[in-house]
Amino acid sequence: MTASSARQINLVGGIITLLTLIIAILWAFPIYWGIVSSLKPENEVVRPYIELWPETLTFEHYIFALTETQIGRWYINSIATAVGATILTISTSMLVGYALSQLRFPLRRPLYWLILASFMVPTQTLIINHFVLVANMGLLNTWAGIILPQLINPVVIIVYKQFFDQVPRDFREAAVMDNAGEFRILFKVYMPMNWGVTTALAIVTFIWSWNSFLWPFLAVTKTEMMTITVGITQVSDAFGVYYASQLAAAVLAGLPVALAYLLFQRRVTQAITLSAGIKG
Amino acid sequence: MLRNTRRETLVALVLISPFLAIYGLTFVYPTVAMVNLSFTDAPLIGPGQWVGLDNYTRLAGERRFDTAFWNTAYFVALSVIPGTFVAMVIALGVSRLTGRMQALVLALFFLPYILPVSVVYRLWDWTLNFQFGIAMYVFDIWGIERVPIFKTTTWFMPAVAFVTIWWTCGFSILLFLAGLRAIPAEIYEAASLDNTGRWTMFRRITWPLLWPVTALVTTIQLILQLKIFDQVYLFSTGGRPNDNLVLVYYIFQRAFVNNQGGRAAAIAVVLFLIVVIVSVLNFQLMRLAERRK
Amino acid sequence: MAEIILDKVSKSFGSVRVINEVSLTIQSGEFVVFLGPSGSGKSTLLRMIAGLETIDDGRLLIGGKESQTLPPGQRNVAMVFQNYALYPHMTVRDNMAFGLRNIKMAAPEVERRVQDAARMLEMDALLDRRPSELSGGQRQRVAIGRAIVKEPAAFLFDEPLSNLDAALRVRTRVELAELHQRMNSTMIYVTHDQTEAMTMSDRIVILNDCRIEQIGTPMEVYTRPASRFVAGFIGSPSMNFLKGSYKDGAMTLLDGSRIAARVAVPEADTYELGIRPEAVKVCEGEGEGDTKGQVKVVEHLGERTLVHVHLSDGSAIVAQDGGRSPVQPGDEVALRFDISELHLFDASGKAWHAE
Ligand SMILES: Nc1ncnc2c1ncn2[C@@H]1O[C@H](COP(=O)(O)OP(=O)(O)OP(=O)(O)O)[C@@H](O)[C@H]1O
Ligand SMILES: [Mg+2]
Repeated sequence: MTASSARQINLVGGIITLLTLIIAILWAFPIYWGIVSSLKPENEVVRPYIELWPETLTFEHYIFALTETQIGRWYINSIATAVGATILTISTSMLVGYALSQLRFPLRRPLYWLILASFMVPTQTLIINHFVLVANMGLLNTWAGIILPQLINPVVIIVYKQFFDQVPRDFREAAVMDNAGEFRILFKVYMPMNWGVTTALAIVTFIWSWNSFLWPFLAVTKTEMMTITVGITQVSDAFGVYYASQLAAAVLAGLPVALAYLLFQRRVTQAITLSAGIKG
Repeated sequence: MLRNTRRETLVALVLISPFLAIYGLTFVYPTVAMVNLSFTDAPLIGPGQWVGLDNYTRLAGERRFDTAFWNTAYFVALSVIPGTFVAMVIALGVSRLTGRMQALVLALFFLPYILPVSVVYRLWDWTLNFQFGIAMYVFDIWGIERVPIFKTTTWFMPAVAFVTIWWTCGFSILLFLAGLRAIPAEIYEAASLDNTGRWTMFRRITWPLLWPVTALVTTIQLILQLKIFDQVYLFSTGGRPNDNLVLVYYIFQRAFVNNQGGRAAAIAVVLFLIVVIVSVLNFQLMRLAERRK
Repeated sequence: MAEIILDKVSKSFGSVRVINEVSLTIQSGEFVVFLGPSGSGKSTLLRMIAGLETIDDGRLLIGGKESQTLPPGQRNVAMVFQNYALYPHMTVRDNMAFGLRNIKMAAPEVERRVQDAARMLEMDALLDRRPSELSGGQRQRVAIGRAIVKEPAAFLFDEPLSNLDAALRVRTRVELAELHQRMNSTMIYVTHDQTEAMTMSDRIVILNDCRIEQIGTPMEVYTRPASRFVAGFIGSPSMNFLKGSYKDGAMTLLDGSRIAARVAVPEADTYELGIRPEAVKVCEGEGEGDTKGQVKVVEHLGERTLVHVHLSDGSAIVAQDGGRSPVQPGDEVALRFDISELHLFDASGKAWHAE
């Protein structure tokens, strides 16, 4: 390769890199724009020209949202339901994953097929009967009602099963020689060996649950029981058509999950790739 | 290895019982109940008469079902292939970067995926706002006439597809990056010793090796987008929901707005079947591809 | 410390029988090695003693107690795994204490045993580390420590050294032998490495094809192999085998040479003569040896030389010569057999030894 052609290839590479950076910035721009707009006074927001930084920086919309609306209440609902769904999903899925991977028992195969089947079934089509079920149980407008249908999450089970499958058989045998019973093997050996996977799965389950819209939207009719993702779009009179206030509420709704991602970036990435490995 | 069968079965039973209870209640029972309901004329809550296949035959000539079906197909066409393509291009760009730079750029692309749909809705509703949206200023600068995007039927689906790609692309990018990382560096080194050009390198090495990931991403997107509701519902508020109907939206309308549980269930069963068939087909295709290897 | 008796134990995986009516008595305090080729059932037999595999038929007595149906934890034996199987999330101390805590042993006693074991294995300083912070040799010690703290009736090892590099393997071999002497406990050790078997064991159990071929001290199996299989399996380079017939106190080989053999066997046409390379000498002068042939390859090993010779009928034989052997490939050489180290094998593989 001659020097000039090498330089030419480097030039092309440089242009591609530069383009990637520009697109990345444009990609995230709506998020930036939303945040910036929420920090402007309402009259600055609607100025007929582009202002990339607020002339007067104000937190008035956030203060308004947190004090004058039910956002605080919605936060509590979202946290309670997302944490509840996460704990229940993770714990039940881990137990099933372990049983499928390590134990031999009758109907193990059919159980596995049931789980694979639930993969294919779109939960969106079950909304009618979920609603009937939850209504009959008297759980509409409760946290339990919001959580219940969210517990169908076969991905987590499969990831756990595959993880336990990979643990060498020696560990189990060593534990058996060490007089550990089934439950001690699970809770003292297998579970602590996979804290990494558990954290990763817990974080994404939390994010998925926080972000779920359709079901919480159906299961709740009282404004004080809404989760934040539903609340900010349903109760517009609280904000009126004040764009900045609406955006401030949106920023507040997205903040916990965005923080969770930024803090645990590697874990989230890990969980997403793990869960996709089998979704197909 | 030595096993105590009775004890093991007992332990297994204890471990799977919470799962069985939950899945029985929230998955098996509702699925059966849905199929049952679809053969009755029941309201959302309460009993109904058995009407056989009536609910299904009525779907055939229905205008709203037609709209919902074709809108869904249209949306899938607009979002799946273009979304996969965009994700791949971005992943190729990101994979050139290294270290912190890569992590940062990847985070910029991935962040939207983490956000709740209602936040995505607020952001884009604002960005594309007819009066004050920043996109409209850009339109002005380029001399394009402003349009109330989400109020116009022609623009609605493409715009929602665009926002959806923006929202979910991070996920696909992540999978493509994982696929790209799995290609051994030696292959590229060997190829560059053979003086392979950039384009040939992509066409002859990257693309064939990335093909399985591409198939995976496409099918995940396909199955996901068939079930679209949230974005369409949110962006339709104050617009023309009946023109923008998609299948899940239609189920919602029938069940929760018109209080017709039986008829809604019939639509649900149809969508259910579509998704299951697509999943099974895709599963078989994957298996076939694997065996060919 | 206890005697272990296997009485006609059998084991099948599905329809494949892998252990067939094996009987064996291991004395208290004995170091026994199971040796055999891959797939011969060594690990399976060991795991049957440990309780990790069921015993389909027969009895197992550990310290006089019927144990074939006891769960693994209650057989009072400890096992060291090939890959150590150290719990990665526990410190060395917790790894060793785990088994004791499972049987609800009092904390001070647990601590005493862990400390004792750590002192014995010289790893006091490692107690608070995790397995990932240890070297391969150190992990090996922890695995042994985990067995020691149980103060078991017997130690079971399944190829414990196969993950170590050559130098470390030799060192650990010596340490294990020392440990055995110090603790004077029963040890059963599975390996396919002859050197390990020969150097460490009191007795070797040679397994082949679901059966025990021979049980004996290292010297016994070397000098008086019970079968053609054992003769060929033990020793490196391996024993020479030459076909021939036996008549009037002498073997007639295929190249026509006659070798006097004082072996009490019936006369027959098909025997194999077995002789180790060190019992085949290269002679100086012409016409002196028992047979002769052409040198094909010469391997100088320093203190000795291996000479590969083809006899006139084409059969190959390895002879041993001194370290400074002048023999060159292509040379015609005469070979002398040390007839006191002859073995004869009949068609079924049974062995007779020279008196
Ligand atoms: N779980 C099992 N299921 C079926 N067959 C098995 C099982 N475990 C072992 N075997 C078979 O039993 C025979 C003996 O196996 P074993 O592991 O005891 O051999 P080994 O002597 O330890 O060999 P190696 O030196 O390779 O470890 C082999 O033929 C093996 O294929
Ligand atoms: Mg083995």
